[in-house]
Amino acid sequence: MSGSPPELDPVIHAQARLRVVSALSTLGDGDRIVFPRLQDILQMTAGNLSVHLRKLEDAGYVEVTKTHQGRTPATFVRLTRRGRVAFEEYTEALHALLAGITHPQEES
Amino acid sequence: MNTTDDELPPADPAESLRLIAREQAAAGRRLTPDPRLLLWPWGLAWLIGFGVYFLRFGPDEHVYIDMPEFVPLTVLLGLITLAGIVTGVVGARAGRQVSGPTSRQGAMYGFTWSVAFIGMAVLLSRVSDLLPTPTGNLLWAGAMVALTGALHMAGGALWNDRILYVLGLSISIVNVIGIIVGPGWHALIVAVLGGGGMLVAGLVSWLRMAR
Repeated sequence: MSGSPPELDPVIHAQARLRVVSALSTLGDGDRIVFPRLQDILQMTAGNLSVHLRKLEDAGYVEVTKTHQGRTPATFVRLTRRGRVAFEEYTEALHALLAGITHPQEES
Repeated sequence: MNTTDDELPPADPAESLRLIAREQAAAGRRLTPDPRLLLWPWGLAWLIGFGVYFLRFGPDEHVYIDMPEFVPLTVLLGLITLAGIVTGVVGARAGRQVSGPTSRQGAMYGFTWSVAFIGMAVLLSRVSDLLPTPTGNLLWAGAMVALTGALHMAGGALWNDRILYVLGLSISIVNVIGIIVGPGWHALIVAVLGGGGMLVAGLVSWLRMAR
């Protein structure tokens, strides 16, 4: 099995971004998490996380908003409806692939 | 773990699914407030508060430990206020991390507790003086426990949390049994089963989360 199957969304099908999307998927619909907390859950550096969030944002999967909590600026991150759908489709594709692998269908 | 190359796809579909499950579990654990912090302060408040109640106003007006009449209710209300503050702080802290519909739900639920208790206290403080002491105490204790049971059940329904719902139901049943058995025994039953139940519920929820 070399090369990733084309049905898997390339934006999500990268370890770091899959982790980001998985973590965000546990939030309720419409809920947003503060950036440092997300960073803490994922154990990523701020720079690294920003890079991946930018890519997810470009795909329309994630929404990043900058607001203020009192006087301190705060950055919130949430999964968009589109991101949620993409994540669900990605998981379904994984299950389908896995079912295909377990059945004895050899590809040359 | 797997931080070697961010852009690299997971090795295979099974690995992808494992990664998703791992990450979702970790996020869930980190974002849910520790149930021990939410239930143990209340469990202790009831165990100690109603325990003191029982020792001063035992069955058939038996006094196990002599102390001024105002002490038990003061201790109980003080401990309950303290527990309310602890849960409020824990809830508010969780709300600062994640904002949106869920934290609004939590804030409204928390506020409901305060409003309900104030409403009850205002009413009872006007009525209870007219009753004989044992009955007046039973009124306070029974109303407080009934309200708590109902609010826990509502919370269980709101968060789809069975442990919380069953806790609320148990508290409500224990309360009715205690009221029927009568003043004195009510305090003992509520202290041991109600307070103990909250300590157990906190422990069970925590153990489930840790897995």
